[in-house]
Amino acid sequence: MFLTPEIITLTVLNILFAIFATIAFVNALKIVLYYNKNATTNYQYMLEKKSYLSATIIKFIFYVKIPLFIFFVYTLDGLSTLLPGAMCAAGVVSATSYGTPLLFLKILNLYIFAFWIVLNNEDMKYENQPYLKKKFLLFCIAYFLLIGEIVLEGVMFESMDINSVVDCCGAIFSTTSQTYLSEILGASSSILLGTFYGFFILMIVAYFLKNRYLYSFLNILFLLIALITLIAFFGTYIYQQPTHHCPFCLLQSDYNYIGYLLYIVLFIGTFFGFVVGVIDFQAKELQKRFNISMLYNCIYVICVSYYPLEYYIKNGVWL
Amino acid sequence: MITIENVSKIYEEDIIALENINLNFNEGELIVLKGVSGSGKSTILSLIAGLSKPTVGEVIVDGKKISKLPDHFATSFRRDNIGIVFQKYNLIPTLSVTDNVLLPLFPLNLSHEIMQEKAYRVLKKFTIEHKAAIMVRNLSGGEQQRVAIARANINDPKIILADEPTANLDEKLSLEFIEILRELKSKKRTIIIATHDPLFFDLDIVDKIVLIEHGKLL
Repeated sequence: MFLTPEIITLTVLNILFAIFATIAFVNALKIVLYYNKNATTNYQYMLEKKSYLSATIIKFIFYVKIPLFIFFVYTLDGLSTLLPGAMCAAGVVSATSYGTPLLFLKILNLYIFAFWIVLNNEDMKYENQPYLKKKFLLFCIAYFLLIGEIVLEGVMFESMDINSVVDCCGAIFSTTSQTYLSEILGASSSILLGTFYGFFILMIVAYFLKNRYLYSFLNILFLLIALITLIAFFGTYIYQQPTHHCPFCLLQSDYNYIGYLLYIVLFIGTFFGFVVGVIDFQAKELQKRFNISMLYNCIYVICVSYYPLEYYIKNGVWL
Repeated sequence: MITIENVSKIYEEDIIALENINLNFNEGELIVLKGVSGSGKSTILSLIAGLSKPTVGEVIVDGKKISKLPDHFATSFRRDNIGIVFQKYNLIPTLSVTDNVLLPLFPLNLSHEIMQEKAYRVLKKFTIEHKAAIMVRNLSGGEQQRVAIARANINDPKIILADEPTANLDEKLSLEFIEILRELKSKKRTIIIATHDPLFFDLDIVDKIVLIEHGKLL
């Protein structure tokens, strides 16, 4: 294991998260099992106090964990200069067998943590706290995912070897290798783009119909197709290289850190799109979240569409 | 108006402040909680105000189960419905009379003009308007008490709680305070006073005297 200031920072924070999350988890478990809002017993009053304390602890863990994901990606990108063969964070992720599962787990957790925060905010708006048990039950599940993430992260950093040569992103995201990923990346651009813009148009329709369930479902699909098309198609125009399919290089200064903007915008747009279908917001709040989601999804589509259009206008051909 | 059901309050180190208390107060009543120091009078006030929660039992104020409210809802309920006059007044000595009186209004995002008008009206009502710009630390005990009462009334609360309000006053000022109470009662305010001052026990405006000893009702 090698220690950089970034890895030390992440490790110390992870230890703190694990300690506080475990305290909150014990309380959450008691609340899920024994909380009875009509009871006026000593134990119930104690659980009510603990519910506020635990919710505050969890909220602050997640408030830090969400932006910390950006720092994590930044750290991976920085580590690429230390691992022979790695050109960007993709090489670091593939350097150990833990990298890819960790990355997927982190993305899943990102949505779960953000969802918990929204659920908690909604719960705290009402005197009877309608989501209290649900939010602590969700945390009980999220706790294991959080601990899993912390363990995987520690193991990944621990098992990195700066003497081993790793793959660069050109090899990992190649269209010529025999993997599922290469098949997706090698799919026809017209099919991918048709699906991408098709889902986007359907989302707009669902937005104007105010069909929150359809809109929510479409946002999940849109997230998947947006990531696929970013790697398979739009990314090549950002790099201006038809064979460069890396989702990480666009986080580097060479590309003006555009990846951070794209991923953050996509996350906000699809996240708020997702929550409209699963939480019963008041009409005004629902509309607000619809609007945030639509706005950010539109920004994302405009941003990614800009690159191929700019390329075509400048060069008169597609890649 | 105010119902206390099977309430016990046990502080740390197993100090029993209240034991299985049941009380019921109606709107517009003036109630005196009588008992020596440490008998549990202040604890009852703090439970009614939602400043603390019972260990067991339930407190219902104006139809709202205040003991079951999350803290931020209890705070807003208290701000809207309850005025409290603390024993030591709990004023901020480095702020002016007006600023002290305005404190409960700041979270309401009212305009400056409306706040100033409300402050002037309530200070005038309790005849302290001529000291409006003076720092509270420069006021006498009786004047500070008037400021505390004005602050407790700035939101025009339905319920007024006073904890040993005459403990630091001489007889003349205490009688002035009673006149203020008389006026508030005439406006149908529910008033609960925790005190061991004999001055209150034979007052014509008192509807009920509740005797408390060692956390139990007598």
